[in-house]
Amino acid sequence: MVASLASGALPGAVPEAGSGKVTSPMKVLGIGLPLLYSAAFFVAPLAFLIMLGFWLVEDFQVVPAFSLENYLDIAQHMFAKSNYALAIAQSLWVSLSTAFLAVLVCYPMVLAIVYLAPLSRHRLLLMLAVAPFWSSYVLRLFSWQILLANKGIINSGLAWAGLESFQVSLIYTQSATRIGLIHYLAPILIVILYVTVANIDRDLIQAARDLGATRWQAFRRVILPMSRTGLLVSASFAAIVSFGDVLAGALLGGGAGKSVLGSVPLFSNMIMSEYASSTNLPRTSALAMILVLVMILMLAAGAALADRNKIDAG
Amino acid sequence: MATRKQGVTPIRSFGAKTTRRGFLGAATAAGVAASSGLTIFSRTAHAAGRMRVLCWPGYEEKPVIEEFEQKNDCKVEFKTYIGGEQMLQFFAQSPKGTFDAIISDAEYVQKLTAQKALDPLKPADFPNLADYHPKYRDFAPLRAPDSKMWAVPTRFSFYGLSYNTKYMTEEEAKTWNSLFLPKYKGKVALFDWYLPNMSNASLAVMPNNQTPYDISDGDLAKVKAWLFKLRPQISVFSEQNQGLVNALINEDAWVTPTGDMEITLIGAGHKNFASTVPDEGSIRWSEAAALCADSRNKELALKWIEYMSGARVQSELVYTKGFKARAPNMKVTKFWNEEQTKLMSYVPDPKNPGKMLVETLIDKSVPRGLPVKQPDKAWIAIYNEFKTSKG
Repeated sequence: MVASLASGALPGAVPEAGSGKVTSPMKVLGIGLPLLYSAAFFVAPLAFLIMLGFWLVEDFQVVPAFSLENYLDIAQHMFAKSNYALAIAQSLWVSLSTAFLAVLVCYPMVLAIVYLAPLSRHRLLLMLAVAPFWSSYVLRLFSWQILLANKGIINSGLAWAGLESFQVSLIYTQSATRIGLIHYLAPILIVILYVTVANIDRDLIQAARDLGATRWQAFRRVILPMSRTGLLVSASFAAIVSFGDVLAGALLGGGAGKSVLGSVPLFSNMIMSEYASSTNLPRTSALAMILVLVMILMLAAGAALADRNKIDAG
Repeated sequence: MATRKQGVTPIRSFGAKTTRRGFLGAATAAGVAASSGLTIFSRTAHAAGRMRVLCWPGYEEKPVIEEFEQKNDCKVEFKTYIGGEQMLQFFAQSPKGTFDAIISDAEYVQKLTAQKALDPLKPADFPNLADYHPKYRDFAPLRAPDSKMWAVPTRFSFYGLSYNTKYMTEEEAKTWNSLFLPKYKGKVALFDWYLPNMSNASLAVMPNNQTPYDISDGDLAKVKAWLFKLRPQISVFSEQNQGLVNALINEDAWVTPTGDMEITLIGAGHKNFASTVPDEGSIRWSEAAALCADSRNKELALKWIEYMSGARVQSELVYTKGFKARAPNMKVTKFWNEEQTKLMSYVPDPKNPGKMLVETLIDKSVPRGLPVKQPDKAWIAIYNEFKTSKG
């Protein structure tokens, strides 16, 4: 999916396959280094996590084994007692709605940068949009805590302006979690969406306008369909990151923030809390594997939607 | 005089003698260590004049350890942990002899002795014990399962009620059941750990029970019902004290069943906070210094344990960045000013003539323990169910 976006964004940028020598040292290095990086920082840790999920803890020591005990125990607690399913549902609800809202916030910003600002200002505007990314995520969350607190800056400001009856009560809700996540995700989504929107052929938009399309029609019939892959990529990315995030749920969501599903913790917060209570690494790894599995399913759904979009467009 | 660098031998190079089995073993150990947060100490760093301590945060802070290092011309390395289970895992996963001393929660000392990880101590080696509060001079959890002394208490405090005096009265703070008052709906902040919360609930259900962890399944069901009733009142679960402090300062929470909060808050200029132990009782946590059986520097480790029992160091230890707590050595007041002494409750209790306030709180509280009749997992499952029950 990402590859298709990259090739769509930079047509002709990839050299033709087979143009060089198969055994060229540069080619080996070019392919080998990313493979080595992926093996060291993705495949190996993931394999270790999978393996650890089958191990056991005996006398406070992690003992290598091939046991399904952790998974069976988690399965027993899925819909009863610990109610992991409810926490997973809360995480899905928060991450999917966050992804939707984050794209909704970032897409108009990108459209404004690409179509309203002069080309010479694009770099500066992108830098400004990405600027929050340079500060610490935890620091940003604490800042939001100060802003959103019941006696925080927003409510104090409203009270100062004589609007005491308009007090907002957001802290320790999943809405606050979403705010923290959107602030975290926005710079990355803006970059992804900018690459997509900036590469839409302007001649097509001009042709639509010449044929009598209004601005809205040109947007709806040309820009939006051609942005769809970028929108899906960024939404999938936002959903996956939100699903695994712990900090926003803990610092702004209060560990079990309120949402339409009730005051239920996010699954990631539950994993952290369980590890802190039991320090049972194999069981925590098994829980983390469930988290990874849901993320893979989200990625697969995003990829399938993008593929369907390509077929529709084709 | 020995210097800190004496005895440090060069690190063996990772060269021709390294076998594939050795490499794989090292890589696996590194993987396990990295994933569990374990620090791998250099073996060569374990020289004379150096010792290693596995401890809760606070013990490594300069005002606490500097005097010992200077006096003994040594270097103390610290590996900090959060939670007794983590301590046991770090200890079990480290090679024998990695640590010379351990700061353990009192209830986990029994688990360490069961693993034959500790050496017993001689009370005569610790003259400072004479200045300890009577309950800590001979602290029962550190004696079990036999009559030997396995560790020396270093600091303690209470899981009572910390509250905002603007909203909660002293009278209300006398009972856990005040948390159910309608005005506290969504105004209770909870430290996110099953052990203190469930045992305080146990005391609320069975007031002044000296063994709130040793309860029947029927009583555990009552504890669960009490917790579930409390769920709508809770606004925030925080794994860090800072989260609770922020919630109290911002008035997003008015009360928390976590003691000591007022020490931090009043110290930061927020005078409208107080804490107490409700009449039904509360849990008291205690830490103690123990000597590792496999220590390669027992002489220095014993000196450190003796040092930690002193009034001067404890007067600093209870004021660390990591934790605010109370000192078992009652002579700590010599090192505090009047304001500090009052803040730490080492002042006469007007309601109990002849006793200090801190002594009354000790009498009203019971040491934290571990579930006895049920496995830990059963208590954690109830706590998780309580958290996921719709508040």
